[in-house]
Amino acid sequence: MARTFKEVLSEAGISMDFEAGGKAPAALTDREIQREPHERVKYLKERYMEALSSINNEFPYWYTREYMRNDLELPVVRRALALKAAFSHLTPAIYPQELLTMRKGPFVRGSFAMPWLTNSFFLAQGDALYQAAMKSGSASAGEHSKFGAGGGNVTQSFGNVVSVAGKFGVRQEEVGILVKLAHMWQDKSVEQISNRYERMVPGYDIKEQVMRSLVCMFDSGFTLPQGREVINYYYPLEYGFDGIVRMCEEKMAECAGDAGGDGMVGTNRLYNYYAVKLVIEGVQKWIENYAAEARRLSGVTPDKQQSAEYAAMADRLQHIAHHQPRTFIEALQMVETLHIAVVNEDAISGMSVGRLGQVLYPWFEQDIAAGRITEDEVLELLEQDRILKTSIDPFASTGVVGGVLSGNSFNTLSVGGVNRRGESAVNRLEYLILEAGVRNAMPQSTIALHYDERLPEDFLLLAMDVIKSGAGYPAFMNNDVAEQFFMQHYACENITLEEARAWSIGGCLESQPGVWKTIHLNGKSYEVPGGACQPTSVGIHFLAMPKILELTLFNGVDQRTKAQVYPPHNRKLESYEEVWDQFKLYWQLSCKVLELCNNLQHDIWRKNNMAVFNSMLKPGCLDSGHLINELGYRFNATYNVESCGTVTWVNSMAALKKLVFEEKQFTLDEVREAMSKNFGFKTAHEVNSFSISDQQKREDDDGRFNRLHFALLQAPKYGNDDKAADEVLLEWENWFCDDCANYQSLYAKPMYACQISVSTHGAQGSATCATPDGRLAGTTYADASMSAYPGTDRNGPFALLSSATVWDHSMSQNSQMNVKIHPTAIRGPEGSKKLLDLIRAYMRKGGFHIQFNVVDTKVLRDAQAHPENYRDLMVRVAGFTQYWVEIGKSVQDELIARTEYEGF
Amino acid sequence: MTQLTFRDTRDYVAIDVDKGIDHRTGKLVHADAEAPEGYERLAKCKFCKHYQAEDASNGCCTAAAPAFAAYGDMIAITCEDFTAVH
Ligand code: SF4
Repeated sequence: MARTFKEVLSEAGISMDFEAGGKAPAALTDREIQREPHERVKYLKERYMEALSSINNEFPYWYTREYMRNDLELPVVRRALALKAAFSHLTPAIYPQELLTMRKGPFVRGSFAMPWLTNSFFLAQGDALYQAAMKSGSASAGEHSKFGAGGGNVTQSFGNVVSVAGKFGVRQEEVGILVKLAHMWQDKSVEQISNRYERMVPGYDIKEQVMRSLVCMFDSGFTLPQGREVINYYYPLEYGFDGIVRMCEEKMAECAGDAGGDGMVGTNRLYNYYAVKLVIEGVQKWIENYAAEARRLSGVTPDKQQSAEYAAMADRLQHIAHHQPRTFIEALQMVETLHIAVVNEDAISGMSVGRLGQVLYPWFEQDIAAGRITEDEVLELLEQDRILKTSIDPFASTGVVGGVLSGNSFNTLSVGGVNRRGESAVNRLEYLILEAGVRNAMPQSTIALHYDERLPEDFLLLAMDVIKSGAGYPAFMNNDVAEQFFMQHYACENITLEEARAWSIGGCLESQPGVWKTIHLNGKSYEVPGGACQPTSVGIHFLAMPKILELTLFNGVDQRTKAQVYPPHNRKLESYEEVWDQFKLYWQLSCKVLELCNNLQHDIWRKNNMAVFNSMLKPGCLDSGHLINELGYRFNATYNVESCGTVTWVNSMAALKKLVFEEKQFTLDEVREAMSKNFGFKTAHEVNSFSISDQQKREDDDGRFNRLHFALLQAPKYGNDDKAADEVLLEWENWFCDDCANYQSLYAKPMYACQISVSTHGAQGSATCATPDGRLAGTTYADASMSAYPGTDRNGPFALLSSATVWDHSMSQNSQMNVKIHPTAIRGPEGSKKLLDLIRAYMRKGGFHIQFNVVDTKVLRDAQAHPENYRDLMVRVAGFTQYWVEIGKSVQDELIARTEYEGF
Repeated sequence: MTQLTFRDTRDYVAIDVDKGIDHRTGKLVHADAEAPEGYERLAKCKFCKHYQAEDASNGCCTAAAPAFAAYGDMIAITCEDFTAVH
């Protein structure tokens, strides 16, 4: 049997199963905190667990039919008419026992394609889907897809169900129209129009190479044109839809034909207000359709209690279709409705709910005071909210949904932080939100806790309980660091400290400033924070640092495909400085061409596919009459440069610096040869696995790279409070965070650094050859941006935190640190205090973000072997929580390999 | 009248493309299983007078001006022009 990478690492003192600070108990250890949801929620959760991700064509059908009919209409009105038709024709789906309702489509996990955005997948796959549809129906009627690996993903076609991209199921009867609709958008989709213009960008050929080699993960301009942002529910909660329609009508009368001093887009205000009115009418019809269905069910349901619940639901829906909510449950239903309306308007992932507990507090406070609801009933509703949020399945190109997002939708909910005056913003409802997160642990909404020294201790200790439940949330985010970042970056938009304090997390870690608005309810006023930013889903997204280093070392040639990605630099690379300099040049070359191409992609999006409903929600579009595409949002400087593989790159540069350039133990040519030969290991393709733990030596390996590989693995590694590695990180951060401002979004705003990996450390790792830190070809990079490479952080968690904070995190939108802890290490009240101390230490050092996987690695191994027993096991990946069975094997293996802290 | 499958009845709500709940019994049922007699037929394009079938799954809607592609399986409870065929 050939030697495995694990064995080689172990000899170099790096254990893939490294247990730091002690020894884990031999037996499988469960999580300490486990609480049950309400019976009703259990029933609904079972339905979710049974549900397959499903798509249908209602929304795209009605959208396309209406859009094609109005070809002479103004773009914004044409889009609004199409959206109105689509919303008003959605089939309502209401399930027994639910109190909150409304979904993307008529399934528990419904979704749909948007061929007006991107249609190449269906054009290319049309024949294959037809073939699958032809074959369907031959299987026995009772055949069902198997749960286990894949969870709710339809990984294969079965019965009358055709698998789309291994993720969604579509009925075979709908495959024909699915492909037909994609053809109707031939040459009209944002993807295809923008591609025509992208080709006019000088250096477009480099952009193509950069995408093919996976230096860059995706075309952000149209793939997920909105998202990774914070929603704002304020206007409908304050005015109701009828109030907003009246506002639009008044504004239309005010600005019809009036340029308002703006000769460029001033007159557009009329069309914009009209478009908003049209889309609201569609959304109102959609809500009323649900109300009608609830009423119908009430009439035909023999069970008296269920019938009464349907009737009450109908009443609530009918009311919120027009007016400000009267009660907590109506306000929460309104929020669910608004959220789904926004994610149905566009291909969106990471539409975060923001500080929901603070937004809904007015209704909570008054209902509790009046005895209209109990805290237990609120808890039950909050538990249900988690099912609805987890049921949102984003539909985008498959590489993005699977490869980048692990199928996750990132509807992050923020708690904590400070109010407008800088005092703790925590309220009683936020305690219940945390409690609901334990009782009904599901991936969404994942919770971000805005840490501030002023937050109450018992609130923070409750958060420790939630972490100990193994849910992977709340992640802790540093309030001060975020505010400092906003004050610097949004200075170009005249941000105030009060607006910085209104921030929330959009997506998994994309911090965004907000605004304060006043809710008036029964004569009382409440200030609530909400989102006011453009998306963060657009920009130069996921540039693979280790891949660019590979291209630097190999004169611009991709070692996997042998393609010349960048022009050859023909430099000898005789010093560390020369490697670093060339790396920067290739990095900048990538950023420049991607900046231009993504700007064009998104420019086409804003011209034909602009957000109307989401714009209506975001201050100050309703005030100015300008939507997102005309800089109507309060903050527009949100586009960024995202890096991936920071720590793998840092370790690689540190190894080159020490072994090649300082100590001259090896030549760069020797390192390059070893990298290209994968240190004598088989390729990931040969072992048919991209997992760290599955890699094996070649049978014919003569051991000539052993000494070099051993030395590289033992070279300084980030995460040990070792200057040799940490100074490389510091140099990178200082350069990178400044360099981002050299790129400008289509809205002429400077970009900034965003340092999260989501799941790209798996996908981009799979396309990268072996690296000078000793990592093998095709395997994952270190996750996140501040996590150590598995097994290399050997000096305890405080050393890791010191390494991570050598640089000023407020220069960047975020940083990301994941830590895996064995449940026994933080058991009991003492364990909670220790964990909180650890977090405090990191926050006080200036770390921006830290999150925990509280899990026994043995459980993960067992779950990999027996996925059918672990349908509801959740893990924290990198900025998000996901069901174990719904993430790919290479990321699973990386999670297993991460250092497990047994004590500190 | 031929027997309806659950997914062609008004008493069924889909959990996903393969199964759903029978509102009358509260039970989990397979989408393609035959529903008991007496279940109400669901409004779908294939049961609409305006639907012209071109093949087993696809056709066009003549209520649209001009006629527009349609598919027989689309649920039509929200379509203002749905006119049931008997
Ligand atoms: S009128 Fe409506 S239900 Fe009838 S075929 Fe046309 S779209 Fe379908």
